[in-house]
Amino acid sequence: MKQTKVFLNESEMPRQWYNIVADLPTPMSPPLHPGTGQPVGPDDLAPVFPMNLIEQEVSTERWIDIPEPVLNKLCLWRPSPLYRARNFEKLLDAPVKIYYKNEGVSPPGSHKPNTAVAQAYYNKVFGIKRLSTETGAGQWGSALSMACQMFGLECRVFMVKISYEQKPYRRLMMMTWGADCIPSPSNLTQAGRKILEEHPDSPGSLGMAISEAIEDVVGDKDARYSLGSVLNHVLLHQTIIGLEAQKQLEKIGDYPDIVMGCAGGGSNFAGLCLPFARDKIHGKQISIVAAEPTSCPTMTRGPFAYDFGDTAMTTPLLPMHTLGHGFVPAPIHAGGLRYHGMAPVLSHLLKEKILEARALDQIETFTAGINWARTEGFIPAPETNHAIAAVVQEAQKAKEEGKEKTILFNWSGHGIVDLAAYDAFLSGKLKKYELPEEELQKALQSIAGFPKP
Amino acid sequence: MFEQLEIRCPKLGNQVTFAYCLKEGGDIPCPRTIKCWQSFFPVEDYIRKRLTPEDWERCFNQKPKEKILTLVELIEAAKKQTVK
Repeated sequence: MKQTKVFLNESEMPRQWYNIVADLPTPMSPPLHPGTGQPVGPDDLAPVFPMNLIEQEVSTERWIDIPEPVLNKLCLWRPSPLYRARNFEKLLDAPVKIYYKNEGVSPPGSHKPNTAVAQAYYNKVFGIKRLSTETGAGQWGSALSMACQMFGLECRVFMVKISYEQKPYRRLMMMTWGADCIPSPSNLTQAGRKILEEHPDSPGSLGMAISEAIEDVVGDKDARYSLGSVLNHVLLHQTIIGLEAQKQLEKIGDYPDIVMGCAGGGSNFAGLCLPFARDKIHGKQISIVAAEPTSCPTMTRGPFAYDFGDTAMTTPLLPMHTLGHGFVPAPIHAGGLRYHGMAPVLSHLLKEKILEARALDQIETFTAGINWARTEGFIPAPETNHAIAAVVQEAQKAKEEGKEKTILFNWSGHGIVDLAAYDAFLSGKLKKYELPEEELQKALQSIAGFPKP
Repeated sequence: MFEQLEIRCPKLGNQVTFAYCLKEGGDIPCPRTIKCWQSFFPVEDYIRKRLTPEDWERCFNQKPKEKILTLVELIEAAKKQTVK
């Protein structure tokens, strides 16, 4: 029998988190306070975060000790297994080895508790009695609910109303772990009451839920706010994923050529990739790829032709599937590549070319997820499907180039409570728009004079 | 005709209708709307016909704000509410 999983003993769990800020090739610009124009300082954040977490947020120390009480909770499901996806490899029939960190083994089924547990602990030792947060579908809310219960904190979760009504299972998970889950907009806050006065049937939004969670804690000395992605301390806590993966790969004498993860806010991607980004900064040859959601018809209808890789026509002509360098999705030509809500550290690493980003559409990602479930068994969270689809692309590329590659990605969570999304895909509700021929021909005019490969 | 189409919202993590995307920002659409929907139907044309140039600008041509700055702004706003 071939080895499928690599385990670490609890005694082999990393004892420190990795802070990439210490290794950045160029320093990040500090965010400026919109009111004063001065860099945002600890006191600006103190109304919503405990000072021990603010210290981590601004820390430039490379390694930060993981407190023993945090390790004692994380070891309920950590170290998470590193898997070799042999069945998926067989399906792809490409010269690739595919490894993945299974973060779906945590009680709420995702990577989110890695920071939720740490944040609950630091708030507890700071003397806080209640945490407040916002959540969409409830992945973060459920993780924080469990973590608060572990450290005897009250937890209040403002859940976007449309999600609250659609996602009863995550809401019930939160309630089972003892949290107070409130549909947002609510009557508990001024922000919520104002919206309800104007739009009594408002389905809510993540922005509104954040406003409510912040307002809920400001001025309450016993309460603080908690965020599940984007911020430095959140990414820091997630690095345990990549640090474990490095140890596991070392055990079997392997190292990846490509590391991948899906990137929304960036916490699961960062968790796996930042320790490898450190290796890259110190000279390792490795590609680190963030897969983000989008929808773009480029690959479906465009011919394989020589074209510039960018709209500014600064790259050499490259053979690619293209609709012409003049064709770019509207938000891109409107305002440049946008990374709405992505962690500043990751945006900085993108700018430094330590990382690269790749956009994948929903059809491609669900197709990859279904193929994964039918070969590896585990049903991935829809977000995780983006990483799987990016892995498929890399495997196809390796096949075309005839090169052997080792790929590592973060299987960030299971999709057992996201089956409605699979239903939408399987029942054909997600369909691609066929670019009208006239529009296609118009777009292709920009490469009309270029040689064909 | 498009408003009842469904898609998975990458911000929320669940299915939403296009009608939701159009009012996610209260009186303006979610800034991701075009990015999310452009391979399903000509969403840019659809929205341009329904928004004033000012609202289009406000919705789609604003540089995304860093999360930490959003938090600082919300903290300041909440402090004012508390004083009231």
